[in-house]
Amino acid sequence: MRNYTRLLDILDRVENGPIIDETEFDRKLLPAKLKELQRELDIRYDRQSSILLDDALADRLFEAGLRLATDVGVLCTSTGRRITFTRQEILDALEFAPQELIIGRGLDRCTVRKRQVEDRVPPGVVGGPIGQTLPEELFLPIMQSYAQEPIVDTIINGTLLTVYNREPKTHSPWEVLVAWHEAELSKTAVNRAGRPGLAIGCVETSPSEIGEISASSYGGFSPYDWHQVAMVSELKTNYALLAKIAHLVRTGCIIHTFYNPIFGGYAGGAEGVAITAVAGIMLMQMVYMTTTHSICPTHPFFESDTAPEIVWAISAAQQAINRNTHLLTDVLVSPVGGPCTKVLLYETAVITAAITVSGTSRVFAVRSTAGKYQGYSSGLEARFSGEVGQSVAGMSRREADEIVKRLIPKYVDYLDKEPKGKRFDEAYDMHTLRPTPEWQSIYEEVKEELRKIGIPFKK
Amino acid sequence: MVISANAILASLAQAIMDGDEQRGRDLAQQALGAGLSPSNIFEECITPTLQQIGDKFKRLEIFLPEMMLSADVVKGITRVLEPVIFKEKGSVPSQGKVVIGTAQGDVHDIGKNMVATMLEVSGFKVYNLGVDVSTAAFLSKAREVRADIIAISSLLTTSTPFMKDVISFLEGARERNEYRVVVGGGPVTREWAQRIGADGYGKDAAEAVSVCRELVGSKKRG
Repeated sequence: MRNYTRLLDILDRVENGPIIDETEFDRKLLPAKLKELQRELDIRYDRQSSILLDDALADRLFEAGLRLATDVGVLCTSTGRRITFTRQEILDALEFAPQELIIGRGLDRCTVRKRQVEDRVPPGVVGGPIGQTLPEELFLPIMQSYAQEPIVDTIINGTLLTVYNREPKTHSPWEVLVAWHEAELSKTAVNRAGRPGLAIGCVETSPSEIGEISASSYGGFSPYDWHQVAMVSELKTNYALLAKIAHLVRTGCIIHTFYNPIFGGYAGGAEGVAITAVAGIMLMQMVYMTTTHSICPTHPFFESDTAPEIVWAISAAQQAINRNTHLLTDVLVSPVGGPCTKVLLYETAVITAAITVSGTSRVFAVRSTAGKYQGYSSGLEARFSGEVGQSVAGMSRREADEIVKRLIPKYVDYLDKEPKGKRFDEAYDMHTLRPTPEWQSIYEEVKEELRKIGIPFKK
Repeated sequence: MVISANAILASLAQAIMDGDEQRGRDLAQQALGAGLSPSNIFEECITPTLQQIGDKFKRLEIFLPEMMLSADVVKGITRVLEPVIFKEKGSVPSQGKVVIGTAQGDVHDIGKNMVATMLEVSGFKVYNLGVDVSTAAFLSKAREVRADIIAISSLLTTSTPFMKDVISFLEGARERNEYRVVVGGGPVTREWAQRIGADGYGKDAAEAVSVCRELVGSKKRG
């Protein structure tokens, strides 16, 4: 595995790093350091642009993230110690990190590549409602609806609501069973879609370590799938998450890590979220020995990532990382809208456009209703996101910014309205697994609108 | 130089806004020295200032660290005023007592801390149990402090069954009527809250505060 850091060294630091009280870390160390860096490096959110347009600011943001990562590190809440690294260790690790990943098997494998800011090559498409709970009876058709979309390169699972109609509990035998059920159902979904080698993002129904470790053993998910580990907001980990890492390292699995700074929380506003996101990506590389990294800064009231401040923070953090490293970076699209709403498509277009021109390797499409409503997601939104990415790739940030600025007003008043739309079984024909005429015509109507404001869809 | 009572209260309000605990305590002492009663200080300064802070947070003009610092200043001021309040009334008035925590198996705490802090700045006495809180721990703390409300947060679907457990255990112990149970968090919906028999649901920190106010009011009436 091509990583600079090594598991034993990380675990030694977990056991021997500087001791700190969690409250001190949350309320003093992190906010104070963020304020200092914002001031010193002049990191300012400019409301005039929705996407960061300033290369010098992107580079200062990279420096701010690097200093935050060095000065704060990651808090392991199980040991009450910070896992810290020197600036040079982080720079060496970034230099050494993989810039390409082959994922999946046989004819269904694909290559994840590093992208540049304003790259002409479109981002890859990860299809799936990661973070949304799916009713057991809808899990298979929903996941199949993503897997069957030709534009989707890999899928990522939603979370199962029940297992054999029982509610699973964290860190219980139920978690083991539900994790295995996720493996069975998602493998069936890719097989039914005729793409048996498609890599599956897993184990989503594994809040503690036991679901991941159990369902990634013989007969379950394989090393060819890609395995998700979270960094807890803000900049925290624990034994359960590190146990997943230990298992994945020893079994040679592909590790994907994600971090979702909370807007308005300890990270503060747009600037703080952007700095924390940059530091988080670096620290996931260090602590989790990860190959791909995703972020989804989250609104504290809407739980989405499509509020204007967050769109800017995402674009800024992505540019900071993608201009200065060759890391494989992903972003999750998390709109408040659900299937059969125009809002969902406008929000999806905004995030997809912003990250495509900011150099993101892959778009995670889409956590509809910001994951709030069970089964309110469908493969069509992944297709739409992929098409936006293909059409926007090669645009300048300024061109994309003009489009985004025209789209945000179309949804911003709905952010607190929970426009959940329709559940999958009302948005799709359950026999053919195709969008209903209603959902299809909304999709086509919005594409037509977007064409008129400058998104050159190929079809 | 004699500083007027109004000037002291204005400076006190600013100290709360600035999160300056030492200055807050000093000014509270000065306010008492100037002849203001604790209820004057609360009614004319602390309550409206906290209201402003809560409103600013709702509009995201300030963020969690600033709001927490302001809540700390008020705790410091309350400690200065407490002896006088006890002397006058025998107890420190509050909107109600809330035991709050993140459900078992879940370590996410930012959303829950936003609710806890908003409750504090709204005048509730808050007992924040942290994350990964067992059903037994919720019940034991609620009994110990004679809470009005048990508030449970979860960001993980697989931790939401533990919310239901808290209600079942209260029913089993024939204590269901003693406490109001409020739930919230990422995967929690109003429908789910109703389905498990919770008394209230807050979709965000602001709604959680108004629900708690309403529930404490109905508990007192009922």
